[in-house]
Amino acid sequence: MVNLLACFFGALIGTIVGVLPGLGPTATMALMLPFTMQYGPTAGLIMLTGVWYGAMYGGSTTSILVNIPGEAASVITCLDGYQMAKKGRAGAALTLVAVGSFIAGTLGILGLQLFAPLLGQAALSFGPPEYLAFMILAFLLLSNLSEAPPIRSLLMTGLGLFVGTIGVDSMTSITRFTFGFDNLTLGIDFLPIAMGFFGLTEILCLAVETYVAPAIQKIRFRELYPNREEIRRSVLPTFRGSIIGFFVGLVPGPCTVISTFISYALEKRISKHPEEFGNGAVEGVVGPESANNSAVLGSMIPLLTLGIPFAAPSAVLLAGLRLHQVEPGPLLFQNAPEIFWTFIAAMYIGNFMLLVLNLPLVGIFARIATIKPKFLVPCISIICLVGIYSVRNSIFDVWVMIAAGVIGFFLRKWELPIAPFIIGMVLGPTTEASFRQTLMIFKGNLFLIFERPVAAGFLVVVLIFIVAKVVYGAFYHRPPEEA
Amino acid sequence: MGTSSYLSERIAHFVIVLLSILMMILSPSFGLGTLGKPGAGLYPFAIALFIFPLSLSLFISSLRSPKKGSILNREGARTFLSFIGACAFWIMTMPYLGYPAVTLLATFFLCKIMKLEGWLKPFLLSAGTALFIYLLFDYWLYIDLPRGFLG
Repeated sequence: MVNLLACFFGALIGTIVGVLPGLGPTATMALMLPFTMQYGPTAGLIMLTGVWYGAMYGGSTTSILVNIPGEAASVITCLDGYQMAKKGRAGAALTLVAVGSFIAGTLGILGLQLFAPLLGQAALSFGPPEYLAFMILAFLLLSNLSEAPPIRSLLMTGLGLFVGTIGVDSMTSITRFTFGFDNLTLGIDFLPIAMGFFGLTEILCLAVETYVAPAIQKIRFRELYPNREEIRRSVLPTFRGSIIGFFVGLVPGPCTVISTFISYALEKRISKHPEEFGNGAVEGVVGPESANNSAVLGSMIPLLTLGIPFAAPSAVLLAGLRLHQVEPGPLLFQNAPEIFWTFIAAMYIGNFMLLVLNLPLVGIFARIATIKPKFLVPCISIICLVGIYSVRNSIFDVWVMIAAGVIGFFLRKWELPIAPFIIGMVLGPTTEASFRQTLMIFKGNLFLIFERPVAAGFLVVVLIFIVAKVVYGAFYHRPPEEA
Repeated sequence: MGTSSYLSERIAHFVIVLLSILMMILSPSFGLGTLGKPGAGLYPFAIALFIFPLSLSLFISSLRSPKKGSILNREGARTFLSFIGACAFWIMTMPYLGYPAVTLLATFFLCKIMKLEGWLKPFLLSAGTALFIYLLFDYWLYIDLPRGFLG
């Protein structure tokens, strides 16, 4: 019962957060961590994933009705979703998205259920060299898949890795880079940084930017039904989007955003009427929205099986599980399988709850999107301050959150991406441990890593990727006289 | 090279260059060890070597690019600083005056910063927020927040 309530509550909060501009799923998940402490690791994981998942549903509502993406993953839905709304087909778009997201979510959960235990079993054979090689591959992919140029993403990843070194070294107990501050002895906690970057930064942007009241498309309940043609055109994009999203979720980076762009591009390419895209093509709405829901579940696989978060929300989930003394990874399926399987069951039910919530309440959610920042900003700011203080009763954490919020505001203006920093910071300790243990295993000769097939495989992919980028860059930018 | 950059952006890239140099200087003091037995300073040193060329490259390209105007206009800067001031006020006074009163005051300040009209609406929003905080954190979650003079 507690797990079901956690699922419902998480999904509801997530949907509201997805609708609201400003607070995104990452910040909301970080803010809800104190609540999850009351209910155990399983309920906590369910609630937090429900928030992430629900935000994907909610983001599409405002994209379609208001032409404002509630989440970055719903940006692409604005292209055709709002056009459908302008043609009087808002209800149909919302229904198709809700049903498509439900199907994608169900398929995603099925994929998680099938692949996660298998990968968990395979990951038991991973040692420090395999983890090190995998991290190198992950950081490289992350830098190339985020929206910023790779050099900026790599720089932010490096800074995140550096921040992860602050505090006591776990192997030698030497304090590093604390500069005499006792508060830094245990390092900089992840939660205030996440809240600052993803919560306070958004709030600061809302506060300083000029607000333009959106024009909202009205919708009546009886207009929710799509016609036969719309249903027919949405079936295959739903399944294609589900598959694309699930596998993109396995890749480091903003998987929900990337999956929507790939799905949209694919649907447009294979469509018999590509000229309809941008003017209300059903495929352009349903495919991406299915993809982003499925991507959430795909990204759970590296988190649960390897203990490696590939996206910022996954990093919060990892932090949440660690707060409950649960370490995700290959041993999760051996030591605490009930957590995984209860989570799977709850997600099936939660998926259905979101379908039931979103359709009848769509008018209410759309209204929430039009709440003005002058009401939202004060409330959300104070909730962030109290929320982060309540985790450890630490004033230092609140200062860290404020500092992160201010820095995040400027990072956004300077076009330096934040997600690579967060992932670098979270993966830093694991990366360092793998690095040092690998050096000790091979007695300083890192070339011996190629004797480990799995690690060698990852590094070969890294080398191929780098060579391909260099060659592509050389040919693409070759001056005309050399062609 | 075609994109423009803010002055603050150039300064930030330079600061990161300096930070990476500082890391390279400080890391050996933690002990680099050997490759076969790495010390606490080897990994941060490697990270510093990684960050330095990236940050230097971005700094140089920002110097070569045309300069952008400032990030915030006067009104935006005032709102920004006032917002931070309200948050700082909450942090500094909450442990002593208690969260109910300080939350009420800070929310009220934020409402006025956001130009919420009149006095009644900000007061109602502030009181509502303070009540919500009490019900959620204190009453439901039993989280011990400082109550100050309310005891």
